[in-house]
Amino acid sequence: MDETKRISFWESKRKQNFIINWILYVIAWAGALIFVIPLVWMIVTSLKTPEEIFTIPPKWIPISTITLKYDLNIKSQRDGIPEFSKRDDGTRIITIDNFHHVIPESATILVKKKIKITKGQVIATMPKQGIVKIIEHADKTKTLQVVDEKGALIKQYQLPENIKLFVKDGDIVKPGTKLVRINPQWQNYVKAWAPEALDETFNRYLLNTIIITVFGITGVLLSSTIVAYAFARFRFPGRDFLFILMISTMMIPVQVTMIPTFILFKYLGWIDTFAPLIVPTYFGGGAFNIFLMRQFFMTIPYELDDAAKIDGCNYFQIFSIILLPLVKPALATVAIFGFVYNWNDFLNPLIYLNSTSNYTLALGLQTFTTMYGTDYNLMMAASTIVLLPILIVFFFGQRYFIEGVATSGLKG
Amino acid sequence: MENIKKSRISMSTHEAIWGYVFLLPWILGMIFFVGGPIIASLILSFCEWDLIQPPKFVGLENYIKMFTSDKRFWASLYNTFYYTVFSVPLGIIGSIVVALLMNQKWKTVRLLRTIYYLPSVTAGVASAIIWMWLFNPDFGLINYALSLFGIKGPLWLADETWSKPALIIMSLWGVGGNMIIYLAGLQGIPQQLYEAAEIDGAGMWGKFRHITIPMLTPVIFFNLIMSIVWSFQIFTQVYVMTGGQGGPADSTLVLVLYIYQHAFKFHNMGYASALAWILFIIILIFTLIQFKFAGGWVHYEGELKK
Repeated sequence: MDETKRISFWESKRKQNFIINWILYVIAWAGALIFVIPLVWMIVTSLKTPEEIFTIPPKWIPISTITLKYDLNIKSQRDGIPEFSKRDDGTRIITIDNFHHVIPESATILVKKKIKITKGQVIATMPKQGIVKIIEHADKTKTLQVVDEKGALIKQYQLPENIKLFVKDGDIVKPGTKLVRINPQWQNYVKAWAPEALDETFNRYLLNTIIITVFGITGVLLSSTIVAYAFARFRFPGRDFLFILMISTMMIPVQVTMIPTFILFKYLGWIDTFAPLIVPTYFGGGAFNIFLMRQFFMTIPYELDDAAKIDGCNYFQIFSIILLPLVKPALATVAIFGFVYNWNDFLNPLIYLNSTSNYTLALGLQTFTTMYGTDYNLMMAASTIVLLPILIVFFFGQRYFIEGVATSGLKG
Repeated sequence: MENIKKSRISMSTHEAIWGYVFLLPWILGMIFFVGGPIIASLILSFCEWDLIQPPKFVGLENYIKMFTSDKRFWASLYNTFYYTVFSVPLGIIGSIVVALLMNQKWKTVRLLRTIYYLPSVTAGVASAIIWMWLFNPDFGLINYALSLFGIKGPLWLADETWSKPALIIMSLWGVGGNMIIYLAGLQGIPQQLYEAAEIDGAGMWGKFRHITIPMLTPVIFFNLIMSIVWSFQIFTQVYVMTGGQGGPADSTLVLVLYIYQHAFKFHNMGYASALAWILFIIILIFTLIQFKFAGGWVHYEGELKK
């Protein structure tokens, strides 16, 4: 009796856990979806035409079809006596009780002057069908016109580059005919890469960023490992004090040192060169990196050093021959963090680099947004270009990111 | 005997000398890029200097002006505090919640971790631009999502009251970075503790409340300090999203942006240095307060420390 009771209790508990587990799983995936949407939306937007960006509801697939659409009958919106006027482009305006009805050239007007019209009355009719006329432009874009038999314009569409036409010149089309499919606009990337409104292309920004990143990472790797080696393996007076001092510099906001450092570099004549972004990395490589490297050195047994010493290695040989190969994962972590830091850094390039030919990707991208403030498709294409290397490095080096964050954050 | 002793002393001196040699890059860096500039900026904060005329000593004038007549300073202070007060606790809670979820034994958990972590490495100009687009009042995804629930979304970055919440929401996108730290912390909690608690009849909540949270407190403490330090330094997002202005109506003018404007737009090096020192002092006070109260809630497990 007692026994069965206990079993059913356990069973119910297991069932409960099973349900909770599933609820958590769904929550985790729902959250992940929200987290990934901004990046997906960036790529989707980068492939759209300007018209496709501004649609409600938003389109998730950057493909759209244009269907010929017009009302066969144009109806009056108001009661009253019509007044007629003509515009330069051939369209006509019928004004009834201060409401302007725009009548295309191709439509036939059914009402006459001075005869009262009631709301809803048909005042003009459009042709039942039209003829397709395609005009090709030098920049690979096309204009698709639908005209009536006299050549008067019924409808006109500006088409982007990457399209598939369902109709050809001279085809007869009715309202509801599918005219064209607009495909993903890959050329947005070409336009974003070499923007017309800027002096420089992203070639230059990319090259500059690579130069700064490569020299920056080298500096960080060289100096942070050497300094970490000193902290991890040597006994000298003041070591622990200096180590705490180093850790506490992590809490100093860069803005405190930024202004005098700027003035120093100004006196050295280094403004608008890469030197202010590169040279400091050779002097320590940052408290975070030194700390990370030291933690790794500490995990290596001292016996290795002693054995090497007996074999006649000096300190530098112990460091470079024995220890460095053993901390390769840590080196990878520091290099990857250095890469991300340099790639994303904005404040330092903003302060030190003035001429556009020296801009980094981050600065170039920011300038791009100020010039193309509403062209979200191009802005998203440019953002994708800048983020792509980071995403690639992230997918290949994920392990090092996670190890690095975990060791530094935990043992701190 | 004597010889050995001598060589031992010389050995340790030898070691110390080499220690300093290897430390040299950092020592030089400390002098030229940290210590020196800190002292220089303190001195500058008592001066007036436009980089053209020679610097002029003005005593406490910069600080007096800042606290008595500079409305933008107070606005920037308010905005920075507003941002920190919301983004830091929300970020910490968010990253712990995600870490707890990511500590489950699911087959897809690695993929999930990647997805949550990814945004924290894309932080910078590009992600600020993505969020500008998401926050677009008319065609942005966020207001569209709100409209599905019948809510008319605000103007976000174009609205004085909603511009700071927008920045806070954006900051939560980056919780993945801290999530990894908490996850490592969670995985370091010995399984025996949970088993022992189960024997004592603890439920899920009891285990969370009495084991998980206390064991995580050292990590939370470290994170809290660093998150506050970082959140006071928010700059890039604001600069990109507001074109360096901190608008609308100074509602996103954060302290670092204000320092930047004074230093590199108006060339008031002295005033900018004084502002930077105020930032430094605020961060220092916050950090010291946290260390003072750490004993009350941070739980160090002797066994865990290697």
